[in-house]
Amino acid sequence: MSFLVQAYAFFYQFADSFAFLVLCGLGLAIIFGMMGVINLAHGEFIMCGAYVTVLSARAGLPLPFAMLCGTLAAGLVGLILEFLIIRRLYHRLFDSIVATWALSLIATQGMLIVAGPSIEGLKTPFGSFELGDYSFSVYRALLPLVALLLLGALYWLFVRTRFGIYSRATIQDADMARALGANTSRIYSQTFALGAALAGLTGALYAPTMTAVPTMGQAFIVQSFVSVVVSGADVMLGLAPAAAVLAFIQSLLTKSYGQLIGQIGLLLTVIVVVRVLPKGISGWFLQRSGGR
Amino acid sequence: MPRWLALLDGPQTLGRGPAFWSVFGVIAVATALLPTFVNAFAITNLTYFLVWVFMALGLSLIWGYSGILSFGQTAFFGLAGYAYGVISINLGDAGLWTWFALLVSLILPIVLAVVLGYFMFYGGVRDVFVGIVTLSITLVFETFMAQTAGPEWTIGSARLNGFNGMSNMPPLTFPWGESPIIFDGPAFFWLVLALVVVVYLGLRILVNSRFGNVLVAIRENPDRAEMLGYNVRLYQLLVFVIGSVLAGMSGVLYTLWGSYITPSSMGLTAAALPIIWVAAGGRKDLTATLLATVLLTWLSQQLAVKGNQYALIWMGAILLVVVLFAPEGLFVTLWKKLRGRKRTRQATAPKAVSSPSA
Amino acid sequence: MKPATSRHRFALTTLAGMLAGASLLISTHAVAADPIKLGILEDQSGNFAIAVIPKIYAYQLAVDEINAKGGVLGRQLQIIHYDTQSDNTRFQEFARRLIQQDKVDVIFGAFSSASREAIRPIMDRYKQLYFYNNQYEGGVCDSNVFVTGAVPEQQFSTLIPWMMEKYGKKVYTIAADYNFGQISAEWVRNIVKEKGGTMVGEEFIPLSVSQFSQTIQNIQKAKPDVLVTLLVGANQASFYEQQASANLNIPMASSVNVGQAYEHKRFKPPALKDMYVTANYVEEVVSPASDDFKKRFRAKFPKVEYINQEAANAYDAIYLYKAGVEKAKSTDQAKVKAALGSGGICTDGPSGKVCLDPKSHHMSHRIYLIHVKADHSVDIPKVWDDIEPYWLGQVGCDLSKKPDQNQYTPSNLPKK
Repeated sequence: MSFLVQAYAFFYQFADSFAFLVLCGLGLAIIFGMMGVINLAHGEFIMCGAYVTVLSARAGLPLPFAMLCGTLAAGLVGLILEFLIIRRLYHRLFDSIVATWALSLIATQGMLIVAGPSIEGLKTPFGSFELGDYSFSVYRALLPLVALLLLGALYWLFVRTRFGIYSRATIQDADMARALGANTSRIYSQTFALGAALAGLTGALYAPTMTAVPTMGQAFIVQSFVSVVVSGADVMLGLAPAAAVLAFIQSLLTKSYGQLIGQIGLLLTVIVVVRVLPKGISGWFLQRSGGR
Repeated sequence: MPRWLALLDGPQTLGRGPAFWSVFGVIAVATALLPTFVNAFAITNLTYFLVWVFMALGLSLIWGYSGILSFGQTAFFGLAGYAYGVISINLGDAGLWTWFALLVSLILPIVLAVVLGYFMFYGGVRDVFVGIVTLSITLVFETFMAQTAGPEWTIGSARLNGFNGMSNMPPLTFPWGESPIIFDGPAFFWLVLALVVVVYLGLRILVNSRFGNVLVAIRENPDRAEMLGYNVRLYQLLVFVIGSVLAGMSGVLYTLWGSYITPSSMGLTAAALPIIWVAAGGRKDLTATLLATVLLTWLSQQLAVKGNQYALIWMGAILLVVVLFAPEGLFVTLWKKLRGRKRTRQATAPKAVSSPSA
Repeated sequence: MKPATSRHRFALTTLAGMLAGASLLISTHAVAADPIKLGILEDQSGNFAIAVIPKIYAYQLAVDEINAKGGVLGRQLQIIHYDTQSDNTRFQEFARRLIQQDKVDVIFGAFSSASREAIRPIMDRYKQLYFYNNQYEGGVCDSNVFVTGAVPEQQFSTLIPWMMEKYGKKVYTIAADYNFGQISAEWVRNIVKEKGGTMVGEEFIPLSVSQFSQTIQNIQKAKPDVLVTLLVGANQASFYEQQASANLNIPMASSVNVGQAYEHKRFKPPALKDMYVTANYVEEVVSPASDDFKKRFRAKFPKVEYINQEAANAYDAIYLYKAGVEKAKSTDQAKVKAALGSGGICTDGPSGKVCLDPKSHHMSHRIYLIHVKADHSVDIPKVWDDIEPYWLGQVGCDLSKKPDQNQYTPSNLPKK
C-alpha cells in the first residue's frame, strides 16, 4: 500500500482520538476547568444527551434536530441541577465530588429503571469511503472538524460576546464582577448550563457510533478529566494542544503495540505531562508569554 | 501521664475528655464481645466493614488534614493485596511466613509512595493535578493487571490470573504447638478490631502533635508554611507515605478476608468510594471518618440486600442530602450541633482551577 | 438566607426521614413453612444487567411452575435473590450472606467469569452446591459446581470449522483482554491450526475501550476471511456499529455476542450483518419446546427484552436441581451433589433434552448456528445435536472418581 494511504490511515486514527479527547473534555472544561466544580456526573450529562438524541431520532426527528434536542435536554438538566444543588457548593468545591457522584448514581440507576438496560441505537450517518485497502467512516472523519469548530465557537463566545466576557469576569473575581453590576448567580447558572449542554452535545455526536446503555458515561469520564487537567486553566488555549499531544501518543502506541499499550501509554503520558508542566499546557503557554 | 498520651486529645480531633473516652471504651469492649452473642455471618460482615477503615483514615490524613486530594489510594490497596497473595502463596503458611508476607506487603506501598510522592511533591505537582496523577496510576495498575490472565503471568507459584482475580491465599496463621491458630472468623475479627483501635489512637496522637499542626498549617496555606520555614514537601511526602501504608493495610486485610484480590479493586469506582466516605463523614476528623466508613459501607450493603433496584438511588439521595446540609461532613456537623456551636459560612465565588494565587 | 439553625433542623429532619424511608425497605417477609431455599446471585443492575435480567425472570418462571405443581418433595421453592450490581465485591458479600445467614440449599448465579471465580472459593470452603448458568471459557472442574452454560468445545469446535469451510481459512481474532477473552482466543487458535487455517492476526482489547478505529484498520490490513469477535461489555459492543460505519464487511463469528446481550436487537441494521453465533438457545429458535417456553415466559414477563441463552440455562438449572433433589430424596447438599453427578440427570428444556455429565459436571447441549442477516433477522443454517462437554473428561478431570476444585485451560491442564 502506498505511503500516502498509510499516512492518511495514521492521521485518521490520530484525528479520531483527538476528536474524542476534545469532545469528551469540552463540557467538563467549562464546568471544571473554568468553574472549578469537580463534576463526576459529566459522563451522565453525556448519557442524557445521547439518550434524548436516540429517542428523538426514533420518534421521527431528523438526526440534526435530534442532536439539538439532546444538547438542549442536557443543558436544561444542567440548569435545574445548578439551581437545586451545585450553586450551594461554589464555596466548597471539594464537596462537589460527593454531590456529583451521588447525582451520577441516581442518574445511572434512574435511567436503568426508566428506560431499561439498553435501547435500540442509531445508525451512523453518511456511509464510508475507501482508500487503498482501508475504508473509513465519513462521519467519524468529520468529527475532528466538528471538534475544532466547536472550539472555535467557544473561543468566539468567551472572547467576543458579552456573555463570555461577563462569564470569565465572574469566574475570575465574582465580587468585583458583582460590584460592576453583573448578575453573578445568573451567569453561573448559564455557564454551568452551557457546560452541561456541551456534554450533551458530545453524547449526541457519539450516540450514532455507540450502544446506548445507562452506564455509557463511564466510557468518557476518564478521558474527560485527563484532557481537561492536562489542558490547564485556560481551556480555550489548552484543550486543543492537550488533546493533540495525548491523541498523538495514544495513536502511535496503539498502532505499534495494540490497545492495551495505547491505554496505559495515555495514562502514563498524562502523568509525565502533568509533572513537566505543573500548570497544564495552557499554564505553560501563558508563562512563556510573560506570565499572568 | 506521658506527654504523647496526652496528645490523644487535641485541637485537630473531635472528642476529648473522660466522657468521650468512656464512650469509646464501652463501644470498643462491646464490639470485642460481639462474637459471643452474634452469629458468625454478622461477625464476618462486620469485619468486612472494618477492613475499609484503614484506607479511609489514611485518606482523611492525606486529604482532610493535609489538603492533598489523592484519587489513587486504591493503587496501594491493590499493590499490597496482590503482594500478600503472591508472597503467601509462594511461602506457604508454615511458621510465621504469613506474617512475613503481611509485613512485606505493607513495605511495598511505602516504596511506591516514596517514588510517587517524590515525583509529585518535589516536582511541583499540586492541587487537582495530584488527584489526576494518582488516579492515572491506579488506572494503569488496573488496566495492566486485568490482562495478566495467561499462564505466563506467574510469580513463583502464584498465578496473577488477570481480571478474574487471584485467590486461595492462606489466612494468617500463628504456630501453636499441635494446632496452629488460624486467623479466621472471630480471630480475624479481633485482629482487625485491634488494628483499628491501635491505628485510630496512633493517628489521633499523630495529628494532635506538632507534626499534625504543621500538616494543618500546610493545608490552610502552603506558601505561608513554607515561608515560616517548614519543609512543606517533606511533610507532604511523609503524610503521603503514611496514607499509603494505611491503604495497603486495607488491601492486605481485604485479601485475607475474602481470600481474593481483583484488579477492579483498583478501578475508578473503587477509587472514588473512599473519597465519598471520607467527604460524607467529615474529612477533617478521624472519628468522623471512621464512623462514616462503617456506616456507609453497612448502609450501601443493606440497601442492596433489602432494597430492589432503588437501592442505588436511595444511596445517591442520602449522600446528596448529607453533602448539601452537612457541609463539614455528617458526623462533624452532628457533633457540632450536639455541642451547640454555630458556624457562619463565608460565601466565596468559585475559582478557576489554578488561579495565580494558588 | 435562612438562619442556620432552622436550616439545619430541616436538613436533619430530611435526613432522618430518608433514613427512615430507606429502612422501610428493611422489612422481613413472612416465610412459608419449611421451603427449599434457592439463593440467587445475579446482576440486576450495572454493566451486565442487559444479559442477566432475562435469567432472573427465567429462575422465577421455573420456580413458579414447580411450585404450582406442588413443589419438590412436597416442599415449596423459595428464591432469595440479592442484586450483585455487576460488582465482584458484592458477589463475595452476598455469597457469604446466603450461605451463613440465609442458609440456602443451593446457589445459582454469576454472569462474568470474574464474579464466578470471586465466589467459587467461598462455595468450596463451605461445600456449597452451586450452579453456574452462563457460557464461559470452560475448564471449571469443581466438585461443588455444576455448569449449565456452554463451553468452547461446544461453541468453537462447531463454529470455527464451519466458518472456515464457508468463508476461508484466514482468521483474525479480536478479544476482550482478560481471562475469558484470552482463553477463548486460545481455543480458536488451536482449532484454526488443527483445521489447517492461518491466524492472520489477534488483538486483545482492554474492557474499558470503546473506540475502535485502529482495530478496524488493523483488521483491514490483515485481510482475513473470518473475523472472530469475543467482545464483552457495553463499551466493547460499540465495535459493531463502528465497523459497520467503516464498512468493514467481513463475516464475523462469536460465542458470546447475540446469544446473551441480543446485540442484533439493540443495534440498527446492518451493524451485525453476517454475524454467526453458536448458542444453545435463542428466542428465534422455532420448535415445539421453544415456542411453548416463549409463550409461558412472555405470559409471565411481558416486558422481557429478549429471551437469551442464559435464560434457557437458568430455567434448565432449576429443573436439574429438582431432578437431583428428587433422586437424592433429600435437600442435603452432599446427597444432592452426589445425585446430580451420578448420571442420568436430565431435563426437557427450551432447546430440548439436556443432561449433566458426571465427569465434568457440565451439560450437554444442542447447539444452534445463528446467522444474523442484513436486516438483523435471524436464520439457523445448522444445528448440532447433543454435543457433550467432552474436553474436561478428555484431559483428566473426572469428578465422579476424583474430587477437585480447579479451573483448567488448554495451557494449564490437570496434573496426571
